[in-house]
Amino acid sequence: MPASAPPNPEAGTSHVVVAGADDIIAKRAHYAPPWADVSIIGIAGSSGSGKSTLSQAIVNKLNLPWVVILSIDSFYKSLDEESSKKAFRNEYDFDSPDALDFDVLVDRLRDLKAGKRAEIPVYSFEKHARLDRTTSIYSPHVLILEGIFALYDPRILELMDMKIFCEADADTCLSRRILRDQRDRGRDIEGIIKQWFTFVKPNFEKYVNPQKNVADIIVPRGVENHVAMSMVVQFIQQKLLEKSTHHRAALTRLEIGASSEPLSKKVVVLKPTSQLRGMNTIIHDIDTSSEDFIFYFDRFTALLVEEAFNKIPFVSAEITTPQGLPYAGLRPKGEVSAVIVLRGGAALEAGLKRVITDCKTGRVLIQSNIRTGEPELHFLVLPKDIDQHEAVLLLDAQMSSGGSALMAVQVLVDHGVKVDRIVLVTYSAGRMGLHRLTKAFPEITVVVGNVVQDTEQRWVEKRYFRC
Amino acid sequence: MSSPVSAPTQCVGPEYRSESQKPIATVSTPVDVDTVTVLPQTPQLIALLSIIRNKDTQRGDFIFYSNRIIRLLVEEGLNHLPTVEHTVTTPVGRPYEGLAFQGKICGVSIMRAGEAMEQGLRECCRSVRIGKILIQRDEETARPKLFYDKLPEDIADRWVLLLDPMFATGGSAIMAVDVLKSRGVPEERILFLNVLASPEGIRNFAVKHPKVRIVTAFVDPGLDEKNYIIPGLGDFGDRYYTR
Repeated sequence: MPASAPPNPEAGTSHVVVAGADDIIAKRAHYAPPWADVSIIGIAGSSGSGKSTLSQAIVNKLNLPWVVILSIDSFYKSLDEESSKKAFRNEYDFDSPDALDFDVLVDRLRDLKAGKRAEIPVYSFEKHARLDRTTSIYSPHVLILEGIFALYDPRILELMDMKIFCEADADTCLSRRILRDQRDRGRDIEGIIKQWFTFVKPNFEKYVNPQKNVADIIVPRGVENHVAMSMVVQFIQQKLLEKSTHHRAALTRLEIGASSEPLSKKVVVLKPTSQLRGMNTIIHDIDTSSEDFIFYFDRFTALLVEEAFNKIPFVSAEITTPQGLPYAGLRPKGEVSAVIVLRGGAALEAGLKRVITDCKTGRVLIQSNIRTGEPELHFLVLPKDIDQHEAVLLLDAQMSSGGSALMAVQVLVDHGVKVDRIVLVTYSAGRMGLHRLTKAFPEITVVVGNVVQDTEQRWVEKRYFRC
Repeated sequence: MSSPVSAPTQCVGPEYRSESQKPIATVSTPVDVDTVTVLPQTPQLIALLSIIRNKDTQRGDFIFYSNRIIRLLVEEGLNHLPTVEHTVTTPVGRPYEGLAFQGKICGVSIMRAGEAMEQGLRECCRSVRIGKILIQRDEETARPKLFYDKLPEDIADRWVLLLDPMFATGGSAIMAVDVLKSRGVPEERILFLNVLASPEGIRNFAVKHPKVRIVTAFVDPGLDEKNYIIPGLGDFGDRYYTR
């Protein structure tokens, strides 16, 4: 099997741009989320050769949420008026590489390879034009690029980990195409056949078939070919395992210096007043009733969130009191939103709502893989304009190793939130986790209720949600 | 109406930020009375005060934001209550060396503005007993006069959180403490919580009741000729209940 990933200078450069000023990069310990180096599998082949079916079968067989299929059809160029008329008369050559916008495709693939979010155009076959909306792809571990010219552009070949060419005899291809274009793309049989002999067949000989020469494997009979299928699936599984190992090794590297170096100045631990210590005692006591637990936890987290709000940016605001006198006060510089790290972070939501009732809240579900212990991103919804917000509070109940916190911060960064605007708010955290997080993201602010042992299990959410 | 006394201003914000990164705002006027605790002058507190001081703030916002300040006052006030060391076992089976709260408490609000602070108190102490005292200005003598009180019977055995948001001349607060003392509550077990105080009020009060602790969010520089706190926030009860 080939080495884990091809060298990718472009992705590295763009990551530096995201990171910011030079001095920060020098001090920053590198953290790459497991999706930063997506494995790209290319599947090319004649029209109707079963590329989509094969891709779908691979996804089903892997049965993982981090595998996405990207059809090269999304990258058809929008047609000008004249070409559009031709297209409606079935006289436009859609089966030539010139019909595709490879530059945009290469850009998007490079973004994904760098761990960033990519906006994929939506092409309408009925209108022969790109629609205004786009589809976002974010954080796949494996991306299957499928299309007649998936192995055409040398820039894309460089980004690929595996290149597959699907083969089927011409009769099969034509009959599949007739059925599909009638059903899905609103064409009539006459037009489809005209297109086949004018464009599809000659282009196949000229452009599509030669892609065989760059393919790693050639799969005849598509999904019915079980040997080929399991080879491909095994290869991908191996890739995922390698990535997981790398990611965990990177987390371990961030531990260096945890015991000797002091915590970052931007880690703020709540002052243990007698009330806070008393509340903590009730919260920690296994004999506390659920009613009391929830009551005191909410009371505690309201104070935690109040403290977090002291870390957001403020500006001066001159106001007039009812007596008509001026007062030199303050107001928040801009909008503040929150992102809940599910499920634990949801236990802080009551506290959050006591401080801002209508706070916009995003949600992200990160789960540790039971087998590998690696955090995995399952679900993500963020406020649309989150990159414009002056501060984003990231809420989690407990942070132990810091793995999921690192991942959540990276997700925000990938969506355009500057690290110095993120305030992580957590009821308790281990020293090691805090160290890892601030090593990878030195500009982040952390507000924590209690600093505890590194190995503390997640018990707070179990108590709060009672299951 | 203008104030001859000027209020102090300073940069406010977290310690890790440099002075130039912190905006300047008016902060609490220092007072030289050691029974007074003023809430930390954080940017968030100043921003909350800016909202409730603003004459253009609507009633709904006034209630919500003043309640947030009141909750911080109550949390700070409760820190003055006694605790005892107490070790418990946590859900993950390790011992936790903590504290347990000691002593019974009750709230006493000076009607009607003080009643606006009851919600904040209840959010921190769910089923706390709450007594009430009505003190009004006697129009003949222009002095505060006790009209009504209803207090827990065992108040002498409790710690009392006395609630009145505006601490101007201190006239009603002084009288309220007299009432509490007459029911057997010692001064040391009374905590007077208020949102906005004046140096004159604090001094008058401390002379009469030197052991009662005062917890306030902010001390304004002074009073005007009508004995309103300035720059102040207007009439708290009106803005909370009726305006």
